[in-house]
Amino acid sequence: MATQIVMDQTGDTRHEFDPGNAEALARAEQRFRELTGAGFTAAFRTGPGEVTRIKSFDPTAQETLFYPRLVGG
Amino acid sequence: MFAALWFRAPARARLHALRELYRRFFGENTPDARGRRLLAEWLTAEQRAQFEQHRYFDVIGCDTGKRYRIHYGTAANVHEVDDAGHATMGWCFVPSGFLVPGDVMLAQKIALETDEKGALALANRFPPATHSEHFYRRPF
Repeated sequence: MATQIVMDQTGDTRHEFDPGNAEALARAEQRFRELTGAGFTAAFRTGPGEVTRIKSFDPTAQETLFYPRLVGG
Repeated sequence: MFAALWFRAPARARLHALRELYRRFFGENTPDARGRRLLAEWLTAEQRAQFEQHRYFDVIGCDTGKRYRIHYGTAANVHEVDDAGHATMGWCFVPSGFLVPGDVMLAQKIALETDEKGALALANRFPPATHSEHFYRRPF
């Protein structure tokens, strides 16, 4: 199972999906597009504590994290 | 086995155990606790150890190689530090949406490690003396 983690006011919301299921994969890709389109940044772990940002959906990513647009505080 | 022990225990002990279970369950499922857990999962072992000990962790900016110290908090919690660990500048940038501290800190870490210039371009600077170490050492 792969997971998309979306930061929100509850801490985070997790969406799990089976990458081997074409329909689930399509829904995950759609969610990716909607979130990044709304200004979220997507990233996944490449190693312990090492992170890479991604601009397009990666069907092989086991865990993708989304955080909202950054603003000056 | 568990049921036998449970019903043999005095009512007061059962009540105490229930209260403890309730406290732990809800204590570990608050947004704040979930945010801290997510942060811990995404830190390096070194950053995690530093955070557990000091309530902050250091990251290296991907563009300049500068060191930043991210303190526990949701605003004005990022300091650029020199080789001696002294804060030289404060940087304030946060993800929008009133997130919990763990989430804010994780977003700041990822931003500095993957798009340092982009993060600093929208950040507001502040003098590092604005907040003392005491300010950041409040308990969770």
